[in-house]
Amino acid sequence: MSTLLTLLGMWAVTYAARLIGLGLGGVRLPPFWLAFLRFVPISVFVALIVPGISTSQDWPQQVLACAVGAALLWRTRALIWGILGGFAVYWLLRQIW
Amino acid sequence: MTAPAPRPVRPFLAGFRAILPLWLGVAPFAAAYAVTARAAGLSVWETQWMSLSVFAGSSQLAAAGLFGQAAAPLGIIATTAVLNVRHVLYGLSLAQRLPLGWPQRLLAAQFLTDEAYGVALNAPALSFGYLLGAELSLYAVWNLFTLLGALLGSLVPDPQALGVGIIFPLAYLGLLIPQLRAMGSDGRVAAAVVLISALLAWMLPKLLPGGLVVLLTGVLGALAGAWLSTRWVARP
Repeated sequence: MSTLLTLLGMWAVTYAARLIGLGLGGVRLPPFWLAFLRFVPISVFVALIVPGISTSQDWPQQVLACAVGAALLWRTRALIWGILGGFAVYWLLRQIW
Repeated sequence: MTAPAPRPVRPFLAGFRAILPLWLGVAPFAAAYAVTARAAGLSVWETQWMSLSVFAGSSQLAAAGLFGQAAAPLGIIATTAVLNVRHVLYGLSLAQRLPLGWPQRLLAAQFLTDEAYGVALNAPALSFGYLLGAELSLYAVWNLFTLLGALLGSLVPDPQALGVGIIFPLAYLGLLIPQLRAMGSDGRVAAAVVLISALLAWMLPKLLPGGLVVLLTGVLGALAGAWLSTRWVARP
């Protein structure tokens, strides 16, 4: 029973976080805060990329794979080629390093 | 020329397809979560229920570990809250670009993830259907592979051994780069935001848990961008 209550609590706090942001979406904001929200995706994606790499054992391989992936993403504009190309480089480096 | 109004199912499928490249990275982690949760003593149903209700990868893996250590329920819930509070930012940012009615907000909130947020922002034509398609694409693969992991257990290979962890930074790069391209005249400010955020995201993990790193970096990096673009660039 306690497990089920814990799971329900986890659900409640997660759903609340997701709904608060979406729920406040209709609010009219001054230019500063509109600019703030425009830069949120950039800072958030950097925050999702950097710690995973910087705290990993094989960060040099990961950095190289990401450099190749980023170059492919920039040229092809297709998520799939960036992921497959970067993954291929990472996998090769793991074999030889 | 007037185009006919698109049928609602088409944006849904476009959103669903946009997430497909990420399945490669998400599937092994869903299975790994399920194996961890089963090893921690959760039943198949409890393991699956967490994926169906909470549906937030990093916090589910953390919770599975905490269940295994017989941690206090409030501690598990608090950890989940800390790891997922970044979703407030996603909702705020998304809702500025996509006006939603309340029933749509209530539904979209259940399935919001890092990946769906990123793919939706980069959508060629963002709509509620596209957002829901992207969200449910990830929901489908996460729950399917939770079930497989919970049932197959020890047959599931370790994602670390497969090296699929690299797919997440690559995917987030794939979501970041179009955002940078779209910045136009604010390109220099965007580059500064990348540098500031990278520095924060490198330093903060030494001091804070992961969920707060994303939230704080997101807020501070975007504040820097707003300050730079409104004080320096926009001034006549």
